[in-house]
Amino acid sequence: MLDAIVALIIILIKIIVIVVPLLGAVAYLTLAERKVIGFMQGRIGPNRVNILGLRGMGQPIADGLKLVFKEIIVPSEANSYLFIIAPIVTIAPALAAWAVIPFNHGWVLANVNAGVLFVFALSSLGVYGILIAGWASNSKYAFFGALRSAAQVVSYEIAMGFALVVVLIAARSSNLQDIILAQQGGLWHWYWLPLLPMFVVFWIAGVAETNRLPFDMAEGEAEIVAGFHVEYSGISFAIFFLAEYANMILIAALTSIFFFGGWLSPFEGIPVLGTLFGWVPGIIWFLAKTAFFSVLFIWLRATFPRYRYDQIMRLGWKVLIPVTIVWIVVTSLAVELHVGPWFS
Amino acid sequence: MYNWLTDCVFYVAAALLVVSSLLVITSRNPVRSVLFLVLCFFCSSILWMLLEAEFLALVLIFVYVGAVMTLFLFVVMMLHIDLEKLKTNFVRYLPIGALIVLGMIGLMGYIIAPEHFSLLAPAHHGADYSNIKELGTALYTHYVYPFELAAVILIVAIISAISLAHRGPRGRKSQDVPSQLNIQRNDRVRLVDVPAEKKE
Amino acid sequence: MLENYFSVLIFILIGVAMGVAPLVLGRLVAPHRPDKEKNSPYECGFDAFEDARLPFDVRFYLVALLFIIFDLETAFFFPWAVVLDKIGWFGFGAMMIFLGLLVIGFIYEWKKGALEWE
Repeated sequence: MLDAIVALIIILIKIIVIVVPLLGAVAYLTLAERKVIGFMQGRIGPNRVNILGLRGMGQPIADGLKLVFKEIIVPSEANSYLFIIAPIVTIAPALAAWAVIPFNHGWVLANVNAGVLFVFALSSLGVYGILIAGWASNSKYAFFGALRSAAQVVSYEIAMGFALVVVLIAARSSNLQDIILAQQGGLWHWYWLPLLPMFVVFWIAGVAETNRLPFDMAEGEAEIVAGFHVEYSGISFAIFFLAEYANMILIAALTSIFFFGGWLSPFEGIPVLGTLFGWVPGIIWFLAKTAFFSVLFIWLRATFPRYRYDQIMRLGWKVLIPVTIVWIVVTSLAVELHVGPWFS
Repeated sequence: MYNWLTDCVFYVAAALLVVSSLLVITSRNPVRSVLFLVLCFFCSSILWMLLEAEFLALVLIFVYVGAVMTLFLFVVMMLHIDLEKLKTNFVRYLPIGALIVLGMIGLMGYIIAPEHFSLLAPAHHGADYSNIKELGTALYTHYVYPFELAAVILIVAIISAISLAHRGPRGRKSQDVPSQLNIQRNDRVRLVDVPAEKKE
Repeated sequence: MLENYFSVLIFILIGVAMGVAPLVLGRLVAPHRPDKEKNSPYECGFDAFEDARLPFDVRFYLVALLFIIFDLETAFFFPWAVVLDKIGWFGFGAMMIFLGLLVIGFIYEWKKGALEWE
């Protein structure tokens, strides 16, 4: 009994060690988004709430406090239970997927053999929060936003699943740690090179799954005024917001695990640089890669205009899926024939 | 793993499963019953996980919860189900319904009876045991014929889905991307020499 | 194996708690002054004149149907991808037949115009 409680407490501590920095990262990603877009558009971004003399660093805290003290409005026409449940259903999978993410060799909460499947299963739950929120709000804008976004998310889910299948073929394992270890041997052994089309497909599908620009049909503030969460206010809105950013960081982390060698150093095997950077712990590389892809989300938002809905569906079904099917055949042939340095 | 802990998880999940499946058929709002069905699938996934069938447990989530239940939600949201109208014929159909329920209970009792279904607990495996690998080696070699049959069933499903739900072209103005990409400069632009007007 | 999934289960519960806790906090500290106008559904300044849950286009339904089929195909792909080096050319051929049938279905879908949106 006692040792079970000790084990439980250890698990809880591990979870807190993952979740607290994650929420911090989520909060500061919102600030980073405003700052980066600000700089890209020749503005300064938020600069009034200062911490330790750093301009704007307190902005996420101020935003969070403000949202907590705002009234939670439940519209009179809404189904109140479902209306309250929707944000919970949205954030729980976004956080729970982090249980299987390896931060360094052996630094993982649950080293499960079906890690890829677990992440895929949780990402397929993302559509529920949107559908429930849109339906429970009983508002036209919310309902249309939810419908559009649900059809978009399920369409890109297929391309994402097929891209993951290709990664599994190459790594011959669905354990996330084994996938990283299979990419050992330096920059040229990471899967972005042999699976380059899959990296592109996975990234596009990831952006579409998180409903980020240029695929933000769910929100489309110019036409459906914020889509599925138009009726949400205060902290219940903030939860949707947090979940969106947690999903962004998750997709960034998954991209770095599947295609950019996770915690592996990019200088591995290079004579001088390899030894020069040999002391850097793996988690630094992992976080650096994840941070890069998180900023890439913001970069995309600042660069591209929104897709039209028929173009989104066309890209998902008629471009990404055929590409992935072809690459499944190519990669499995390469594995069977033991081609090159990657699949031998 | 502690046995009492797995027992604990089992009883909680099983109880939740029974309660939520009761709520599926008793709740008045169809959307709510679909969501309780989702909860049912979650609980059964936990039960399967306790049997160490990790692949099936996760497939249950991403196929049933992720895809099938999404479709159910779409259908329930799309159709305006009038519960009062459904209830009008309740008494008329009650005998047939009762007969079907009895038949199903009998059938299930027959199938789950101890002589057809051994209740041996599955062997416990170490942390490096991969359920997916075991399944893969059996499915694509020993059971290859049923596997190909599954492909045929899926293609039938694609065709029937299209014939049921596709309404055909409706005067749409869709974009023809290849022709847009293959457009040549000469098709669109015509250079005209305009003689410059002379002042004076 | 179960030890790992037990931590996952706890993580999921914590995830749910991370959703519930802020809502409870918001309920406790935020003001709660309901008002008829404030709580009415958002509708660009006028009263909502019909039920928001309009019947929607059947194509969304078709997308969901096709998604189920392709999701099932993905479920068949995962175990195959992991054991490809063990089952050799026989397993490869088996999956190529499966994939060929899937591609036939996909081409049918494409030619029928089921993937068209305007």
